[in-house]
Amino acid sequence: MGILKKFFCSLFLISSIEARPISYSGGSTLMSISDNLKDSTYYHYSPTYKYSIGVEQVKDKFFDKKFTYLRLTYLINRKNTKNSQRNLYFQSALSTDNLNDNFYGMHGDWETRRLFSGFGYKKVINNFRDFAEQYFQLGIAPYQGNYGDFHTWILMKTRKNSLVGDWKTYPVLKFFKGDFLFEIGYDSDVDWDVHLMYRF
Amino acid sequence: MKKGYFLTIFLISLFAWADDDHHKSHTMEMEAHSHEGHKHEVMVDGRKLEVDPDRFDKFVDGQKNFHVAVISVNGMVCDFCARGIEKTFKKDKSVQKIDVDLSRGKVLVLYSLSAKIEFEDIKQKILSNGQNATDLQVISI
Repeated sequence: MGILKKFFCSLFLISSIEARPISYSGGSTLMSISDNLKDSTYYHYSPTYKYSIGVEQVKDKFFDKKFTYLRLTYLINRKNTKNSQRNLYFQSALSTDNLNDNFYGMHGDWETRRLFSGFGYKKVINNFRDFAEQYFQLGIAPYQGNYGDFHTWILMKTRKNSLVGDWKTYPVLKFFKGDFLFEIGYDSDVDWDVHLMYRF
Repeated sequence: MKKGYFLTIFLISLFAWADDDHHKSHTMEMEAHSHEGHKHEVMVDGRKLEVDPDRFDKFVDGQKNFHVAVISVNGMVCDFCARGIEKTFKKDKSVQKIDVDLSRGKVLVLYSLSAKIEFEDIKQKILSNGQNATDLQVISI
């Protein structure tokens, strides 16, 4: 499949995760992510700003299996200042097919209007082979838009999946306007790393 | 190169987790504005309105017989995160209009004159979006 075709398929088939795992009270979020290891679609609802519950469908490309997870994300800690916000989250999930298939982890971020940094760790347990995913992200906004403008972030992401071994570092662009967010990264090994998000 | 990258992330993380309490005492003053008769120049509880003068004038332009709440918010660092604030306030029927000033951390809310504006209620609305309201100034126009 050509790169462009792959890219556009990713855009419309997939789902996402780590960023913005909890919405405002009563808010819903639809996310998607696609990379070399999985395609997933994730819907979550936030009864309060402290936690979200949701359903994620994952097509695991490594094991060639599909999983449906019931997910919980909990905001462990948040610090708001005039110019920054820092978050630490706990995430967990259980497969609807087999309780032995599950995952848990932590992720966090700190951002100002100019800088962003984030990290995540996820341990996935299943009947095939357990594995772990880790990532770090560091970014800068090239300009500071007003409310309602088109916003852009330039980031570097480095991640490791224990199934495939080495750390991979690659550039990521993040765009958002209104309730839509779109993030895309590319590395020759990782292939396209695409996130889409819509909040409502 | 990777070592340098991780070191940078580590240093930024340290900065992020450090206590930022000094921000609490920092108040952003209104910029000098020479135009006379503009609403933003009024005093509220002995203080000037802490707003972007041009933004405020544009917000209230053509409006009469309303209350304007100027809310200071901590943690409002991105457009995407502030969306919920607008949605929450718009559920209140007495709210006519809302504006978010990300650069100053201010939310402007235009209320009908009959509305009862309480800081506790506003703090709760802001908190439901995960941010903190730290100050409120209300003027009638």
